Amino acid sequence: MKMRYGITLLLAVTVLMAWPVKAHCENEILIGLIPEENIFNQMDRYRPLAAYLSKKIETPVRFTILSRYGDVMDRFVSRKMDGAFFGVFTGVLAMEKIDAVPVARAVNLDGSSTVQSYIFVRNNSGIRDVEGMKGKRITFVDRATVTGYLYALSYLKEFGVSDPESYFMEVSFTGSHGSTIYAVLDGRADVGTVKSKIYQLLVAKDSTIKEELMIIARSQEFPDTTLFLRKDIPETLLSRIKAALFNMEKDPEGITVLKKLEAQKFIEAKKKDFASFYDVARKAGITVKTYKYK
Amino acid sequence: MSLRPGGLAFIVVTLLVVLISLPVQGLAAENTIGVIMTGDIPYYQDLHKAFMARLGQSGPLSKTEVILQKPYPDDISLSNAARKLIAMDVDAIVAYGAPAAIAVVKERTKIPLVYAAVYEPLMPEVKARNSTGVYVRLSISSLLRYLRSLNQINTLGVVYSSHEEDSVYQFSELTKLATQYGMKIDGINLKRYQDAEAKFAGRKMDAVLLTGSSVAHMAMGQVIEYAREKKIPYASFFLCTDGHAIVSLAASPNSQGEKIAEKVQKILDGVPPDKIRSEAASNIELIFNMKEATALGMKLSMELVTEATRLIK
Repeated sequence: MKMRYGITLLLAVTVLMAWPVKAHCENEILIGLIPEENIFNQMDRYRPLAAYLSKKIETPVRFTILSRYGDVMDRFVSRKMDGAFFGVFTGVLAMEKIDAVPVARAVNLDGSSTVQSYIFVRNNSGIRDVEGMKGKRITFVDRATVTGYLYALSYLKEFGVSDPESYFMEVSFTGSHGSTIYAVLDGRADVGTVKSKIYQLLVAKDSTIKEELMIIARSQEFPDTTLFLRKDIPETLLSRIKAALFNMEKDPEGITVLKKLEAQKFIEAKKKDFASFYDVARKAGITVKTYKYK
Repeated sequence: MSLRPGGLAFIVVTLLVVLISLPVQGLAAENTIGVIMTGDIPYYQDLHKAFMARLGQSGPLSKTEVILQKPYPDDISLSNAARKLIAMDVDAIVAYGAPAAIAVVKERTKIPLVYAAVYEPLMPEVKARNSTGVYVRLSISSLLRYLRSLNQINTLGVVYSSHEEDSVYQFSELTKLATQYGMKIDGINLKRYQDAEAKFAGRKMDAVLLTGSSVAHMAMGQVIEYAREKKIPYASFFLCTDGHAIVSLAASPNSQGEKIAEKVQKILDGVPPDKIRSEAASNIELIFNMKEATALGMKLSMELVTEATRLIK
């Protein structure tokens, strides 16, 4: 009798421990999206991909916006997510803190699969270098982004600015790349730093933006938004997801979805793609383990 | 020792003069500041309130007399207001808006000038050895961009006043932008706000943009009436506490008022104006009036809503 109780208890504990981890995989795949642009536009662009993947892997796939960059990792764990489209910094965090695995990333319409960070100002601001930024207002995206913060931090350090709070009159964070661009355009900030892809997207929509803004620094190339999955995702499911993504450009339905995403195709992502991050981190004087990004 | 009648009279008169002048001397302000508003509109009233509040914090207001002039925003009235303050030999002149500041500069006075709400492209006309202040760096193209996201605009009505240099400049900027967007500009030059109704009559516009003109904002009521009747969006370069446009992009009047009060205080303390840094207004507000948009049957996209620094619901 005691033995049976023991076995039952052991089974119950095993089930309880395994359940939260497997819950999503069995019934639904939950994928997070970091807020790159206006979240409503972003959701619009990604929604068809969720429907496409659901059909191809025969498991419902749902995308959800991870409300803030800084909370991404906590939310990933607390919401028991199966994966997320991460940027460079959040991707490195995911690899280092929860052993997430980079799976795929999109190739943009221009053939690129990497992005840069731009530091930009209004054309008529008179600001052309770091010296000209003194006493002005700078706006970043979030502390947990390379293209929207860390590159700018390393750039400023290179020019002798180690404490932006005292160098600038105002330091702010907008929470998305799109909002950073609009803040500088409107005159709500003087200097901004964003991901090149979002900058190009907005310029393509409205050419006057290009005339009004001036890029004064460009970073090295970083991998574009990458799909990461939990390390313990079942191998069969992983294979099905990869097959669906890597064959999209050969499938008419997939081509329509790629068009909406403004991408040519998906390619395989690897850990080594993120090496450029560590160079920026070193220049910015941060280490992933100790960096307070929240 | 006896006094001659004439000598007694002299002493009595002298005593009287001293007695009369004593209380006056005791109450008289130590400093006099002249203030000129480019038109009596809520935006400048808010700016002035913030200016007075901060001035009161930096020193007892009883020691400072503030003479406020609210001339109609035209060249002659503004120039008269400036001359009046110069004739009074005030310690500093404060000007709200580029037209008021330009009117003071044109008088070539040596009295220090502290300006606020001066549209940045007009700064060369305001910069002088004896001037400092806060200028406004705003993007007319941004305001147009937000307005365009509310309605398909083929014809944009632009309300400006040829008496106000900043609004003329913005009108010309908009005309250039319109070509790029393939829009037609219908300029409404308002010299008197009372003419607004007649000027709007019979026009076909898809949206109205009010430049940073005081006369245009004095006619805000008529603009709102027209926009409601035609169900078209309207945008403003000022914040109007008495009637918010559907989209407003403006520098906060409060923070400008506070900043110029600090500059005036420095001048009163003896710092020459050219040693006081002029600066750009830092607190820029983007306001969407959801309440009015809904009343006009328009839906503000979530993209717009997320950009707003303030929403009126």
